[in-house]
Amino acid sequence: MSAYVTLTINGAKVKAPEGRSVLDVALDYGICIPHLCHVRGLTPIGACRLCIVEVVKNGKSKVTTSCTLEVEEGMVILAHTEKILKARKNIAEMLVAEAPNSRAIQDVALRCGVKEVRYPFRNKDCVLCGRCVRACSEIWQSKSLGFVGRGKERHVALPFDKRPEFCKRCNACIDLCPMTITPCPGPMKKGEEYLCGLCESQLSMAEEIPDSCIDCRLGEGFSCIRKKP
Amino acid sequence: MAATDLKKVNRILENREGTSGELIEALQDVQESYNYLPEEVLRTVSERLEVPLIEVFRVANFYKSFTLKPRGKHLLTICMGTACHVRGAPKLADEVLGQLGVKPGETTEDGQFTVETVNCLGACALGPVVVLDKEYYDHMTPGKLRAIVQKVRKKSREKVKV
Repeated sequence: MSAYVTLTINGAKVKAPEGRSVLDVALDYGICIPHLCHVRGLTPIGACRLCIVEVVKNGKSKVTTSCTLEVEEGMVILAHTEKILKARKNIAEMLVAEAPNSRAIQDVALRCGVKEVRYPFRNKDCVLCGRCVRACSEIWQSKSLGFVGRGKERHVALPFDKRPEFCKRCNACIDLCPMTITPCPGPMKKGEEYLCGLCESQLSMAEEIPDSCIDCRLGEGFSCIRKKP
Repeated sequence: MAATDLKKVNRILENREGTSGELIEALQDVQESYNYLPEEVLRTVSERLEVPLIEVFRVANFYKSFTLKPRGKHLLTICMGTACHVRGAPKLADEVLGQLGVKPGETTEDGQFTVETVNCLGACALGPVVVLDKEYYDHMTPGKLRAIVQKVRKKSREKVKV
């Protein structure tokens, strides 16, 4: 039997097994904390920063990513304060500016309340979420790809940019990649990027009750069933 | 080429089987004896040290002192740190890059020179500093640097003739 701890998320007292992350626990209880790089079962790396929450300790609050935060007895988590919502919106805005050509990222941005993008669109193919890298090394023990380079040169690469013979061709890297599904209106060309925003009507509840689960699997981003315009 | 290749790396990897912690030391030795990190050798290193290939590749890419492309015979390093910068290092770089017709990090076509820029060599009082084949040249000026490069070039050409 694993030990349980009690903590408060957004004022709700919840019980959780020791060693779980705050994000997983919140999601289990139907409290939506937007996230992108998190995949259940893979080591959290806190790359996308979308799942930030406030942790209140001794009257002081600290902002940190909930996917890398382990639950503790008596922990007080505030996942949707004004400060967090603002920061999260800004993070989502930067993400969508970096890589607008992804349904998952467009979705998350909208979910976080992004109404306009004030940053120049870069239209990159990768946001360095590390889903592929972790799936490859952790699920398949293959380690066929990884992060290479540092600073702004950091990117996902194969060794010597060739597919190694020990790659199992499982395609987990592609399945988990948030960039593989284009936005609903179709792929965006360079210079013609915009915020998709088609599903705004579905989010009317989310604006008033930010922690409500809108049952869209947004963070996973791949199974939203929506009509084309 | 492949035969001699592996002989050297086998000597480097002796007594290092399965010691993943010695990856950087091993790579430094490889860099030392091959002058760069050849792909085949890195594959051997990965196998023998039991380090995933991507990890070896990542480390080789991360550190500036490792290079995956063959380097020239002479390595010229120009310090671009703050002290050297204000004392005219960019002029040095312009001069020598123009003289050799390369960009930073590139090797001349004849395989003689590789020019690199670094952010500080820790010899700020001597700035601007240039290192050519591990020898430090202090208080450089574009003229002095040009002369030194020419001298080295001439020397190695004479060697080829003999």
